[in-house]
Amino acid sequence: MAPTTKGPAKHKTSAKGDSKNNKVLGSKVSKKNVKRPPPKEVKSKARTEQSQLKKTKKREYSEAELDLPKLNMITPVGVVNPKGKKKGKTFCDDPEAMMTIFAMVNAEKEGQIESKIMKARQLEEIREAKKKEAEARQSEKKNKLDNAKESIRNSRKGKGGASGNKSNKAEKESPKPKSGGKRKSVAFA
Amino acid sequence: MRALTEEETQTLFKKLAEYCGSGLKELIKPLDNSPNADRYVFRLSGNRVYYALLSLANAATAFPRDQLLSLGICMGKFTKTGKFRLHITALPIIAEVARNKIWIKQNGVMPFLYGSNVAKAHVAKLPDEMGEHSGVIVCTQDDVPLGFGITARSTAEARRLEPTGVVCFRQADCGEYLRDEDTLFASG
Repeated sequence: MAPTTKGPAKHKTSAKGDSKNNKVLGSKVSKKNVKRPPPKEVKSKARTEQSQLKKTKKREYSEAELDLPKLNMITPVGVVNPKGKKKGKTFCDDPEAMMTIFAMVNAEKEGQIESKIMKARQLEEIREAKKKEAEARQSEKKNKLDNAKESIRNSRKGKGGASGNKSNKAEKESPKPKSGGKRKSVAFA
Repeated sequence: MRALTEEETQTLFKKLAEYCGSGLKELIKPLDNSPNADRYVFRLSGNRVYYALLSLANAATAFPRDQLLSLGICMGKFTKTGKFRLHITALPIIAEVARNKIWIKQNGVMPFLYGSNVAKAHVAKLPDEMGEHSGVIVCTQDDVPLGFGITARSTAEARRLEPTGVVCFRQADCGEYLRDEDTLFASG
């Protein structure tokens, strides 16, 4: 409680003293004070304020300035453009350029088509040869089969023919004795 | 609208050479032998490639890009992957200088125009030496071009094929003029 009571009392005295001093000074340099603009209040910005927090621009060093040792890397083709070359697209509109491209493309395509046709021809030849071989094999088989059939038929014929002959012979032989033997003659009276 | 770059020209020519062969030269050569003779050029507008006379292409530069809808004959368009896709509108140009042609019977015309592949039963005539997967123009027996496609078999194989077997895979047909009416001529 004690310090609070003392405080305002001190203030009062100081205020009085100030007013006195002001009066004295004002009398001495009154004209100068009048012309001065009112003092502006300068607010000190807090450190956490956004403008204070912004980093000051530091100087950026390029790779060449840093003088770093170079890494043994591959530079991909097309990444580094040669200097002095025209930027952007290169149009081909003149007939010579078009003819050159046409000749290139046509030669490539012709080669492809030719090889395709050649391949098809070769395949066709192989196929034909295989077909012929298969046909020959089949005909051979058929011949064999025919021969076998024929032989069986012949053998059957031979057997069948022998028996047939026998019967024929028998047939032929049977009348012979009749004809060859003494004929019975019937005589009447 | 601009001329094609070297890479674009190469892509375009590769595609055209599949159907035209050496006849492609006829498409780009000057009209006559005079020094300032007019010739046909390819121009890119948006992603579409147009085939037009040089004089016409030069005259078309007077028009703002967004107001120029079409110029000459549209050959096709560049896809986003950088490949070239031929449109049916290029058919009359390609058919004149075609390398291979397939003639189809009357009963095969409508199925083809409705977007189906060419079956063996519909083929009237095949070229003598036609490789597998090569570009071909599909025509009627009266030699009217109907569209173009890619052969599924070589000539020798196609001759042995059963009637329902596919001889040619369709790439584009005249039916697209109706089917793709909305997108065929729309720019962009």
